[in-house]
Amino acid sequence: MSEVIIDVSQRHIREINQDMQAAAKAGDRMRVTNTLSRHNLGIGLPPGADLHFEGSVGYFCGGLNTGATINIERNAGWALGEGMSDGMITVGGYCGMSCGAAMMGGTIHIKGDAGPRVGAAMKGGNIVVEGKIGYQSGFMAHSGRIIALGGAGESCADALWEGEVWVAGPVESVGVDVNTVEPSAEEVAEVDAILAPLGLVDTSRDWRKMISGQRLWYFESRDANAWLMI
Amino acid sequence: MCGIAGRILNAPGKVGHDLVELMDAQRHRGADSTGFAIYTVPRETGYTLRGMGFDKSSMDGDLASFTHVMRDHGSDFLSEPQITTDQNAHYCFRMEISDPTDLTAWVKDADTLTDRIEIQSCGRSLEIIKDIGSATDVADKHGVRDMIGTHGLGHARLATESSVLPNASHPFWARPFSDVAIVHNGQITDYFTWREKLERRGYRFLTGNDSELIAVWVSDQIKAGLSMSQALRKSITSIDGVFTYMIARPDGIGFAKDRFAMKPLVVIDKNGDLAVATEEQAVRRVFAGEEDVINHDGPSLMGIWGVGNRSLAA
Repeated sequence: MSEVIIDVSQRHIREINQDMQAAAKAGDRMRVTNTLSRHNLGIGLPPGADLHFEGSVGYFCGGLNTGATINIERNAGWALGEGMSDGMITVGGYCGMSCGAAMMGGTIHIKGDAGPRVGAAMKGGNIVVEGKIGYQSGFMAHSGRIIALGGAGESCADALWEGEVWVAGPVESVGVDVNTVEPSAEEVAEVDAILAPLGLVDTSRDWRKMISGQRLWYFESRDANAWLMI
Repeated sequence: MCGIAGRILNAPGKVGHDLVELMDAQRHRGADSTGFAIYTVPRETGYTLRGMGFDKSSMDGDLASFTHVMRDHGSDFLSEPQITTDQNAHYCFRMEISDPTDLTAWVKDADTLTDRIEIQSCGRSLEIIKDIGSATDVADKHGVRDMIGTHGLGHARLATESSVLPNASHPFWARPFSDVAIVHNGQITDYFTWREKLERRGYRFLTGNDSELIAVWVSDQIKAGLSMSQALRKSITSIDGVFTYMIARPDGIGFAKDRFAMKPLVVIDKNGDLAVATEEQAVRRVFAGEEDVINHDGPSLMGIWGVGNRSLAA
């Protein structure tokens, strides 16, 4: 497997993405340079593709990923890995709003903090954040796990549908219709199995697992106030 | 969706050029209109006016009425007004005038002409340039790249709630207070409730743009004696909707964000040499290379960046 350099600079995004698809088809590893925090880099990459982004990327990087391994040296903008179904995305720094929005599978690993609404409407897969997750994390997530090792901002797990938000560290406040439960030893082992390949297992963690209170699953007029809080 | 930007220099320089770059990098966020608020090196006395008349075929009559009102308030031109026209019906003006006896009273009287001609900025240092078209279109037409100053704001508009009109683009001046400008990214949902309330207090709205509300609301807070930081903080709970907006004054730029954390703001601050924008790729136009960025992504945030010695403009 050889490595090819893909230069971003001011080139048209479609041209850059076509170069990436061609390199993936040829089985080449990619090093992406001069990213300039531009949007829509590496969309719809196939299984087996292997990319390293030097520097920071803009919005929607790695969206619709079907199995590529993507490594971003510094920060990512909004909606990283939106709608991805498989693969692995690693961010070295901060990740902006709605990371992993509507993702269905695969793993996103953020080494810094994450912005608001991590995993909004996610339907599967795992998001691991070494730092703190922002406002309204897991907003209306249907399935999958969000795991934060450095605490959570306000309105954590807001209006969660059926996914899980796991937090080690302080939680500023929990969102609407959330139950905070004590995880069983088996469940902690499942989460540790996700963290193990990332080298992040620490048995001394005091986990808080947040799941849906299921009150918002059905509308009842006596719950109108809870709906209005969303 | 709109795009906003701000720029602060450590010393007077090509702030116009940098704001055009910041807005050109965000042109996809709003292609219908663009505007700039530039804080030039302040004058000792007199004001620089920027504004617009809506029908160039009646320009002479409009300007005569405008001059008449101005002279009634003890003010006169310090130089020949500069007029910019193109194929559109409207024309833009830049004027330098001596101090009116009472600025507030004069603006109130001048605003009786706003069906024909309106003042869009008045300041010792502030000049607001706004028009329909992209960042480069507006910059080329009005020579924005060559404007020298200490700081300023930029705005790219994607009209979602009201018409695309040259005077409905941002920035908005907090009339009648000299040297105060705002830009806004978002939608104000209690616009009509606030508009009615403020009109009863005597304020005028010159457009149907919901963002103008923020400028008028800010004027009302200044009148009530609030500091910039007090007004910014109060706006978060007083105004309903989605917003990240910035206020500029001669001593600094402030920002406030709504309770829902919907609109981003990214900053690179190199010891007072500062660029701020909706998108990270825009600030990287000003600071090439991987400078550290600060993401103001959370809910209910506010802050102020000072100009010059970086003392907080509280």
